[in-house]
Amino acid sequence: MTETTATPNPVRERKVNLHVLGPVLALVALILLGAFLNSNFLSYGNVTNVLARSAFIGIIAVGMTFVITAGGIDLSVGSMAAFVAGVMILAMNALIPVLGIGVPLVLAGMAVALVTGLAAGLLNGFLISKVGIEAFIVTLGSMGIYRSLTTWLADGGTLSLDYAARSFYRPVYYDGLLGISWPILVFALVAILGELTMRHTPFGRYCAALGANEQVARYSAVKVDRIRMGTYVLLGMLVGLATIMYVPRLGSASGSTGVLWELEAIAAVIIGGTVLKGGSGRVWGTVTGVLILSLIDNILNLASIVSPYLNGAIQGVIVILAVVLQRGRKSAD
Amino acid sequence: MAANKRQTPAMAGSIPVASGREPPTVLEAVEISRRFGPVQVLHGVPFSLRAGEVHALIGENGAGKSTLMKILAGFLSPSGGRLELESEPVEFNGHQSAEDAGILMIHQEFNLAMQLSAAENIFLGRERRRGIFLDHRAMLEEARSLLARLNCHVDPRTRIQDMSVPNRQMVEIARALGRRAKVLIMDEPTAVLTNRETEILLEQIDRLRSEGTAVLFTSHKLDEVQHIADRVTVLRDGHHILTRAAEGFGENAMAEAMVGRELSDLFPQKPTPQPDVVLEARDVSVPGLVEGASFRLKRGEVLGFSGLVGAGRTELMEAIAGLRAATGTLEVNGKSVPFGSVQAARKAGLAYLTEDRKEKGLLLGKGLRENLTLLALERFGRLKIDRVAEERALDQAIEEFDIRAKDRTVAVGSLSGGNQQKLLLAKTMLADPQIVIIDEPTRGIDIGTKQQIYDFIAELARSGKSVIVISSELPEVIGLADRIVVMGRGHIAGELTGSQISEDAILRLAMGVAEDQKETA
Amino acid sequence: MIRRNFLKSAALVAGLASAGAVAAQDESYTIGVAIPSATHGFMGGLNFHAREAIERLEATYPQLEFVLATSGDAGKMVNDVEDMVATRNIDALVVLPFESEPLTAPVQAVKEQGIWVTVVDRGLSVPGIEDLYVAGDNPGFGREAGEYFVEQLGEGDDIVVLRGIPTTLDNERVEAFEKAIEGSGINVLDMQHGNWNRDDAFNVMQDFLSKYDKIDAVWASDDDMAIGVLEAIAQAGRDKEMWVVGGAGMKEIIKRIMDGDPQLPINVTYPPAQIATAIELTALAMVSDTPVTGRFIIGSQRVTPENAKDFYFPESPF
Repeated sequence: MTETTATPNPVRERKVNLHVLGPVLALVALILLGAFLNSNFLSYGNVTNVLARSAFIGIIAVGMTFVITAGGIDLSVGSMAAFVAGVMILAMNALIPVLGIGVPLVLAGMAVALVTGLAAGLLNGFLISKVGIEAFIVTLGSMGIYRSLTTWLADGGTLSLDYAARSFYRPVYYDGLLGISWPILVFALVAILGELTMRHTPFGRYCAALGANEQVARYSAVKVDRIRMGTYVLLGMLVGLATIMYVPRLGSASGSTGVLWELEAIAAVIIGGTVLKGGSGRVWGTVTGVLILSLIDNILNLASIVSPYLNGAIQGVIVILAVVLQRGRKSAD
Repeated sequence: MAANKRQTPAMAGSIPVASGREPPTVLEAVEISRRFGPVQVLHGVPFSLRAGEVHALIGENGAGKSTLMKILAGFLSPSGGRLELESEPVEFNGHQSAEDAGILMIHQEFNLAMQLSAAENIFLGRERRRGIFLDHRAMLEEARSLLARLNCHVDPRTRIQDMSVPNRQMVEIARALGRRAKVLIMDEPTAVLTNRETEILLEQIDRLRSEGTAVLFTSHKLDEVQHIADRVTVLRDGHHILTRAAEGFGENAMAEAMVGRELSDLFPQKPTPQPDVVLEARDVSVPGLVEGASFRLKRGEVLGFSGLVGAGRTELMEAIAGLRAATGTLEVNGKSVPFGSVQAARKAGLAYLTEDRKEKGLLLGKGLRENLTLLALERFGRLKIDRVAEERALDQAIEEFDIRAKDRTVAVGSLSGGNQQKLLLAKTMLADPQIVIIDEPTRGIDIGTKQQIYDFIAELARSGKSVIVISSELPEVIGLADRIVVMGRGHIAGELTGSQISEDAILRLAMGVAEDQKETA
Repeated sequence: MIRRNFLKSAALVAGLASAGAVAAQDESYTIGVAIPSATHGFMGGLNFHAREAIERLEATYPQLEFVLATSGDAGKMVNDVEDMVATRNIDALVVLPFESEPLTAPVQAVKEQGIWVTVVDRGLSVPGIEDLYVAGDNPGFGREAGEYFVEQLGEGDDIVVLRGIPTTLDNERVEAFEKAIEGSGINVLDMQHGNWNRDDAFNVMQDFLSKYDKIDAVWASDDDMAIGVLEAIAQAGRDKEMWVVGGAGMKEIIKRIMDGDPQLPINVTYPPAQIATAIELTALAMVSDTPVTGRFIIGSQRVTPENAKDFYFPESPF
């Protein structure tokens, strides 16, 4: 948001646009690097793979953008995704005798995922906005709860969707429309709606106001509790949606599903230029951040130029660099 | 108070170095200029500070006072001209180096760590040590004695966030005292103080002066300037207008020098209220803060609320506006309004303008548009915000309230206090309230803007709306309101109308001194 | 009861039963069991077997009491072990160290108090502390897979390898695998860490498939990773091109081998039931005079369509 700049001289204005473009430039640089290192990088197959892979974290990160913009944080999304996936698989397996294999079963599974996500988000939101516990603590707690509930549901192993049901459901991840797979389409739709909501609706404006200064929001008759709760519920539902896309991929969930997704989602949001302490959020930026994170992985796998032991370090450096470049503007003042 | 003033020359004369001659200049600004991008805010301004003098710097908001002070204190570097410290050219590399040279600035927005105690703040960055450990006892003792010098008796272990605003101010001053400043620069130190506290502060300034400290002081309260300053410099639009002795420089003359034109009477004519009651509060209590407050407000009335800081005025009004849980009954136009819901209060046509525009009123990091429409956002679309309509509303607000911003995309935090206050007014009026409660309408605002706001308040009442004005500045309530409710210690102490109104009467009610007692005393 | 054939423990348990009968009335013993929590398939199986063994032994020997602690990280495991000694007064400790280094000193301290120590799967970094060491055969796990690759492939054939979480255990397996295929002319195109995780393995394999036009076989080195790998291959439509060897004997994979899936020709075991063996042997050391000190290495075996039914345990979670 250019509106947040402190002083209005034209020189600064141009820099600000650069700041908005920063993550995009980083993304372009990564794409060029990838294309340079491997000729298959820009192949239809690889591009589809990377985008579809980004979709889970991406859908979640769009929700996370709202939570962080409103001054919150949610550490539980990775565990929540595992839990939602587990519940969804159990529900679908249990419903096979009733509904048989077919569209009703898949729709029922989707409904279960959305409702479970909503309920999980509602619980987080309730504890944070109504009971007034710090978001960090609430979601740290629920992170552990959802994770171990998943392990418990799976009896320490893996929950697998019935083979026939999975074969029927599988196209939701692997097929698509006009050669674009469903996860990519859903991710794009969520991103567009997210951007519209953030920039053009009262909800988005209130989220930013709440994150910028809760007191001002309260004194401006903003329903602070409801907005805050809304961000967590929205995130919960998006986790449900991401799970709907995730389950058909491998047809299973275990205690190790979605590990560290929360950190990837948060990192994507921050790389994208949303302020960690809230007040200003950019959904487009988040999408860019998600793509940057996926591309780093992809390029490291495709190029094998460094020891795989160092993959994590390279990711870390790029994440920090992306944010440093963005903030460079402020410290230059 | 007047006695202090007359003493001053004698005290200054008692400084050894100055005997017989003019005291030496400690810090001098020579033809200082400063530009921010294309905007020039200071045009070759001269300014000097002598040891043992109080030099007041006055001007409207945006005249360049803050910029000049920040340059003197090393927070900003000048784009032209130079600084001389004790006749040697000097360049400060950040405010720390200025502080090391003995130049301290007390900001209008305090520079205190809210989570730390008063003592910890006073010694922040130069902690007393014993070996490798902090010497807490020594620091506590010294903090206590520094605060005691300021007649401020808070426990130095109290955290800043738990302190009242005036006490925070005292901690800031104690911090400067503790550093034995040669030059003390104070940006509107009295804006947040009550009269009594102001008096204590002025006594302290007087004492610092007698110890040889050079004090730069700004205030919008020209009577204070008149009272404390030795010399006065007036800035207008970044230009130096004049520097002269305070003696014989009357308040009106000062105001006219600041504004650059003749000022007519500051207060507009009082509107006449209509007979019907629009708001009635009965027995309103806010636990621990307000007890059993009842009052009425008529249509087209400007009702004043006065009392000492901490008397419960703000808390009562926040309860009325739905921002605090409270008991009792509140009726607007005969309909009951529940407490604790801002939305319900808004629906009833109530709007409250906070005294704390920086923390509760405006999003300082956001632009004018977002701030303007936040309260009445639903008027710009429930599903999708109509940005064109927002821009139009902003055009109108800028026009109607004379909001001066260099650019409408600037962050509101960079606007002057007066323009922020006008924006806050515009924001509140956009919600189209029938009853407007304005808490400290002119705190930290220059005289020209003050007059605009007073005119606006009167105009509002004349148009059939009702206004409650809370103010700690007695001339302000007296000048604006026809009826004044005085609060003291959480109770409504009394009500004054028409000819009963006088500063004396208000103060007596506020302090709980009954008429007869005073006479017998 | 599951996969106990890796060790001829049936005989041991029989011996234990008779010895137990003698000692039953005299004295009671408490055995502490500390294992990592069930964060992935293999550990899930391990937890299952530990619980199952404890239940069975408690039913057989009323004088034995067990304390089971599962820990999410090494620090928590140290705390758990210390608590067991301090508050439960254990006579023996069965521990699967989360990591070798941090657990060595605390376990040594336990040993110095005269408590019996059985170490499972991952060795401590100082040798000779434990009374009994029970482990799977990591080099054997890699070697067995490597030997199969050498049997099936030859000069100029290309394979890719997915590794686990970077650990000593993973290194031992991969080194043995590389050694086994040395000189065969098999070309290892690439190795990346799939972290024993299905999703990570899926991503890595997708990228391998984008990168290499010719892949003849995949050593996924773990069955969870094999699942992700198979899915990526199916997505790319290259299922006819290559086969996959996982490892550890997950029931779904064993089932497919049993059914003769051409994509999954064999598997190599790395039994989670080793924990049951360790607990049984420790119990035996408590209640009888049978000498059980030393090292018990449970060899990794090749699972083929022919013998797969011996390794198929549908009721296990893994």
